[in-house]
Amino acid sequence: MGEDITEAEPHERANAGLFLAFQYPVAIPGVSVANFLRMAINAKREEPIGVKEFRTQLAHAVDLLDVDRSFTSRHLNDGFSGGEKKRAEILQMAMLLPEVAVLDETDSGLDIDALRTVAQGVQRLHDEQGLGVLIITHYQRILHYVKPDFVHVMLDGRIVLDGGVELVERLEREGYDRIRQEFGAGEAGAVAAGDGGG
Amino acid sequence: MAEARRARISSPASADGADGARANGAEVVGSGDGRAKPGGHREATLYRALAGAGAGDGRSLAELRADALRAYRSLELPVWRRSGFWTTSLQKLQLDALRGPPAPSGTTPAVPEVVERTLPRRPRAGRIVQSANATVQLELDPDLRARGVILCSLEDAFREHPELTARWYSKRLTIDRHKLEAANAAFWSAGAFLYVPPEVVVREPFEIVYAIDAPGVAQYGRTLVLGGRASEFRLHEYDLGEDFEGQALHAGAVEVYLQDGARCRVAQVQDWGAGEVFDVSTRFVGVGRDAYCHWLPALLGGHLVRQHLELAVSEPGGEMAFRGLLFTEEQEHLDVFAVDLHETGPSEGDVHWRGAATGQSRASFEGLIQINPGAQRTHTYLQIHSMMLSPKARVDAVPSVLVSADDVSASHGGTVGELDEAAIFYMQSRGLDRPAAVRVIVEGFFEPLIAELEDEPLQELVRSKIEGKLAAAREDIEAYATSR
Repeated sequence: MGEDITEAEPHERANAGLFLAFQYPVAIPGVSVANFLRMAINAKREEPIGVKEFRTQLAHAVDLLDVDRSFTSRHLNDGFSGGEKKRAEILQMAMLLPEVAVLDETDSGLDIDALRTVAQGVQRLHDEQGLGVLIITHYQRILHYVKPDFVHVMLDGRIVLDGGVELVERLEREGYDRIRQEFGAGEAGAVAAGDGGG
Repeated sequence: MAEARRARISSPASADGADGARANGAEVVGSGDGRAKPGGHREATLYRALAGAGAGDGRSLAELRADALRAYRSLELPVWRRSGFWTTSLQKLQLDALRGPPAPSGTTPAVPEVVERTLPRRPRAGRIVQSANATVQLELDPDLRARGVILCSLEDAFREHPELTARWYSKRLTIDRHKLEAANAAFWSAGAFLYVPPEVVVREPFEIVYAIDAPGVAQYGRTLVLGGRASEFRLHEYDLGEDFEGQALHAGAVEVYLQDGARCRVAQVQDWGAGEVFDVSTRFVGVGRDAYCHWLPALLGGHLVRQHLELAVSEPGGEMAFRGLLFTEEQEHLDVFAVDLHETGPSEGDVHWRGAATGQSRASFEGLIQINPGAQRTHTYLQIHSMMLSPKARVDAVPSVLVSADDVSASHGGTVGELDEAAIFYMQSRGLDRPAAVRVIVEGFFEPLIAELEDEPLQELVRSKIEGKLAAAREDIEAYATSR
């Protein structure tokens, strides 16, 4: 039943195929998006990726996220808007092709256009690459663009409800308050999961 | 923003909070009786710019050497103090045990291995290499020679181009502020001379190399560079030492004069290796009317290094970008005094330095903006950023502003930082291991300056040297991270 990576170093987890999209991505001054991606890709390869192969992959990923080519020559997250940071996260996800991606409130602070682009990018990676996705969110709106296979509701660090898309519809109707009343007070959030198909 | 006349603005930024120190224009102003006791060099309240000792006052080279020799004999080894918290002392230098010029005869001069393995293989306009006190390599693109470019030893230039050396030699460099400056002026041999005639534009760099490949050497390097009217060229200086055990000295003096409309990019890569190399050098770059200079020293190693760097805008319309990066390790001691001097206006200045330190090394950078009386409509900015990579390393940054004109703007800023753990975690979560993440941060820290070199082979060299230093200090950096 797989490999326990609870105690693994962050880079070991990453190289085992886990990707964490940050809620607040950190700026890395002086390092371009493209250079950082190349280093991250090479971190789990024996031989460094060829220049041409890297360029082709990057061009695809950039198209997927509807960003300007010049985006990749800017310093990673340095002076990026909230939307640009989230796009940069998904761009990294698209390039690194993990097995499972955890999106930690990636939808917060995004305007509606950025949200749509980011969410559609995630959905396409799921559909086309078989990426497994775990979306952590407080809101339903991202679920207008991605179709989760499973939905779980977490309250006080505990999963209290499991279901499918219909659970989202129920939440939208009733809000979290009903669940809080049902299971006790606390902050609730939904976890939407997409099966990686693997 | 108008500054008050003779305003002093100083705000020392010290990594370990050594505050309360007055930021003085720390330089020795010629002591009255020519005799300075060890440790007696208190900082002058007002810095006096390098005024020159040779050109224009009619003295011949032999007379200048004789005057310098007298100063050398009367002076003690220098000590520099920066108020309260910083001392650079040459007391441990065993000068008498070192061998200066002339170069020993009977040996075949060879290009030192450290030069072969360090300098990028790349197209170049010319190269002159001095090992110890002899020229060991000289090359110049024949096309450039045909167009009047001169590259030769300074000794040869005195013989073959006296009209140029008489006019420019030591025009601004002094010969008697301290013992090692006097030693240089008295004893230098070989040396380097570059002349780029008016309107000659050269794309590839001229390389001037000083190398020390064995202990026991006192190397007195002397460089004179003249950029004619509207010329354009690149100058790359390398100061390289082999890894050896024992003492050596490089006492260097470099002067660069850019005439009207000349444009020059000067870069210096200094790494004296693991030997006990003392480097006490003065470099002066004079920017003429509407001329431009981009100057970037990369000071990457030496047992004890004292650099006096002065970039002067001497004619109206001159513009300069004064950049620098420094990285000290182990027990190294680096003292930089950098002057952004505006002798006339309008002029533009922009000073930007970055430094990092590992091990128990210490670096002190004092940056002085000096705007002389009458240098109206001068605008200049000084920024210094430093990064501490080890608990015992220290980088002091002391900006000073000395303004004697009232229609100018001069300001300074800076930061002192440590490794950002959030950034390290972020990169680790993308698959980079910790040392790789640290390297990315430190390279990113220096990258704004490295990018300004605008020369791929040189950029690669500087990056690889930084990478090597980080790899060497890996355990130290880790220990620091876990201790915080």
